[in-house]
Amino acid sequence: MTTVVPRTSRRTSVPRGRPAGRRRAAAAALLTAAALVAACAGPPKGGESTGDFTLSKTTPAAKGEIDSFTWAVYAEPPTLDYTVAFDYPQNTILSNVCESLMRWTPGLTLEPGLAEKASNPDPKTWVYDLRRGVRFHDGRTMTADDVVFSLGRQTDPDNAAAWAQNFQNVASVRKTGPLQVTVKLKKPDSQFPQYMATAAGVVASKAGVEAAGKDYGTSGGLACTGPFELGTWNKGQSVELDRFDGYWGKKAKSGKAVFRFITDPSARTNALLSGEADGGYLIPTESYARLKGSGVGKLYFGEGLSTVNVNITNMKGPLGDIRVRRALSMALDRSGFVKAGLGGAGTVTNSLTTRAAWAAGSEQTRKNALEALPKVTPDIEKAKALIKEAGATGKTLTVATSSIGQDVSLLATAVQAAGAQIGLDIRLKTIAPNAFTALFTDPEAREGIDMFPLTYYDSITDPLDLLTNFKTGAYMNFAGYSDKKYDEGIDRAVSVYDPDKRLAIEADLQKHAAEQLLWIPVAEWPTAVFLNKRITGAPTTISYMYYPWAADVGSAP
Amino acid sequence: MNFVRFAVRRAAEMAATLLVASFVVFGAMYLAPGSPASFLLSGRSASPEALAAINAQYHLDEPFLVRYLTWLGDMVQGDFGRSITYRTDVSRLLADRLPTTLLLIAMALVVVVVIGLVLGWVSAVRGGATDSAVLVTTTFAVGTPSFVAAVLLQALFAVKLGWFPSGGAGEGFLDKLWHLTLPSIALALYLIGMLARVTRSAMLEALDSEHVTVARSRGVPERQVIRRHVFRNSLGTVLTTGGLIVSTLLVCTILVETAFSIGGIGQLLELSTTTKDFPTVQAISLIIVALFMIVNLIVDLVLPLVDPRITLGSKGSSA
Repeated sequence: MTTVVPRTSRRTSVPRGRPAGRRRAAAAALLTAAALVAACAGPPKGGESTGDFTLSKTTPAAKGEIDSFTWAVYAEPPTLDYTVAFDYPQNTILSNVCESLMRWTPGLTLEPGLAEKASNPDPKTWVYDLRRGVRFHDGRTMTADDVVFSLGRQTDPDNAAAWAQNFQNVASVRKTGPLQVTVKLKKPDSQFPQYMATAAGVVASKAGVEAAGKDYGTSGGLACTGPFELGTWNKGQSVELDRFDGYWGKKAKSGKAVFRFITDPSARTNALLSGEADGGYLIPTESYARLKGSGVGKLYFGEGLSTVNVNITNMKGPLGDIRVRRALSMALDRSGFVKAGLGGAGTVTNSLTTRAAWAAGSEQTRKNALEALPKVTPDIEKAKALIKEAGATGKTLTVATSSIGQDVSLLATAVQAAGAQIGLDIRLKTIAPNAFTALFTDPEAREGIDMFPLTYYDSITDPLDLLTNFKTGAYMNFAGYSDKKYDEGIDRAVSVYDPDKRLAIEADLQKHAAEQLLWIPVAEWPTAVFLNKRITGAPTTISYMYYPWAADVGSAP
Repeated sequence: MNFVRFAVRRAAEMAATLLVASFVVFGAMYLAPGSPASFLLSGRSASPEALAAINAQYHLDEPFLVRYLTWLGDMVQGDFGRSITYRTDVSRLLADRLPTTLLLIAMALVVVVVIGLVLGWVSAVRGGATDSAVLVTTTFAVGTPSFVAAVLLQALFAVKLGWFPSGGAGEGFLDKLWHLTLPSIALALYLIGMLARVTRSAMLEALDSEHVTVARSRGVPERQVIRRHVFRNSLGTVLTTGGLIVSTLLVCTILVETAFSIGGIGQLLELSTTTKDFPTVQAISLIIVALFMIVNLIVDLVLPLVDPRITLGSKGSSA
């Protein structure tokens, strides 16, 4: 799914300080005194790059137990109701409290979760056999009724569940035994069983959720099954998770996990440096160097499912000519962007999806998927010629930029620089961070904009999560691209369960999208995790979104 | 002007101001791009039924005026509504966060008043090198935006020296004081400079006045002259900046709270504005406007007491 502007929705992986302009916007309605403006001017911007980085499969395993550890997250979850848990902060916390039918592993593969077996007797049926004797935090024992109820909440329109769209092909969810639930599909859907490893597949206690009523998710317990249960939630400050002693699986190594909400990126880095927080995911790229050289702990990078792209939003202007899109892609200084914008921790890519997204395929399929794509070696002369040929020399284009993160602001600048070299007049349109989020949700906000930087990640280990965006009428298909053959390909991929066969179809789809340059791929962005010397054990991959990672965190050897 | 008439007039003015402010804020939110429903869904596509359900639940599909009046009606009955983002009652959101913000502002206010007055006083009375030193210091203070001050204080006292936490609001009263020390200084810095300068110039003006010369010639001790005549005469001028001081504190707290991740209502306002959480933004805006007006009212009530030349209601506060 996409990463949205931090704090509101998820569109840029690394949030950071925003300009005073937006803070003032809130205040301006009330007071407009010049003195006030002088009194609180905005933050200065600056960045540094770190150079080389290596991907770690994991962090060293924990040696023993600890009483508690503190984790920095960049925002407070508005609610911890699993049906609306669709953003980094809430998923990072919730993954340790609420478990799903399936489980995503640190290696980004799928394994049984609360269902000990998932079977697929026919293409339109999924049968989940539940684990026996699983205890909820409210003391009750899990049955099929809880599963039917929990999944039902995702499709209840009154709930406005963020995961509702993943149930679009579901015809019914029924109890077919005390510990068995059968899902009937309207048509074969290879994505649905994968989403059962995310918050879409969470099972909570029916009685517990009903007892909490409209307060579910904001106060009281969550009535889930995970290794931690919800403890004290100090609103606006922090939320504590307490080890759940009745957990069915491997007991958590830490008695407590405390999540502190630290919105300001430099404050977050400071908290890590001073030991007020023991670790954190989503480290601001401009802090990589500081944390690496601090001697306080270690910064690890892991496989992610995030790519940084330029999203083409307007095909009615010069970008409607594929030669212009191609020229722009050819002239873009990707490695310069990775150095400056991603703190050197990233790789230049010609693929919209990360290598890790293809993990379910065979060696050959993965090779086909990634090697068939057009090369992205910079070639200014050729790009210039293409622009000339398209008759676009001197034409004006607009790219949106915002100070929400360097992945956005520096990429916009790189696009502008590329344009300047090949005879395009590219203007930057600076958008306040809150309005930047609106680019995704409001067509009016995209008026007069031809493209914008977009960091996107998959919620499951399947490239289809991203490739679906180019289907006719898809939510993120801002350019209004429509190709019947492509749409049919997407539908076909959705209906094929065999991973290798499906990924082969997806490889063709990705090739098509890459040739058409519906988005211009720029870089792969690995996940970053910082751990101080006291703790270890957290996974390095993006699995922390849905895997109970905090249970693995313990004392460092 | 008698007190009853004054009170009635001020109450009416306040109600009108709150009404206009609420309408303006509501309108501004309404016109800004993006819809709360789309933020609720985290920018994912949703079925038309789900969107319709949200829109109905929060009255997002009704015309502007209807929505505004509905909100106003609930508000008058003491119902702040339910936060769209947090899915909980706004009154509860505020109850959780308001104490922290008020404590932060109170601490900053104490720092501003004590240090600002002392610096201004010393500067005016001593003159010479002291005066120059204060002028240089206040120039620096006035020129340092609270955000920059926050970053500098964090870097020095939290990260380098480790004397204070780098953020958060703490738990329990003493822990809270310790956590809010740096933020309150960051918040106060600019205002210390401003107040010191206002105090200094007001006292210098008073020092030059005739009755000070008269008092001195009568042999009244210098300390008494300064306290009774000079300082007391300047107090009116100093007090009238009260409104400006408090409004600056209220606005800058948004920034400082974010910088230190304090999680008070300043930070909540910023987040709610981002996600177009109408009920929350409306409630916080009104609280800020109300606080601002209450401070001005207090200033107007106190002024006649410290400065007999001013009568009740004869002049509004200058902020």
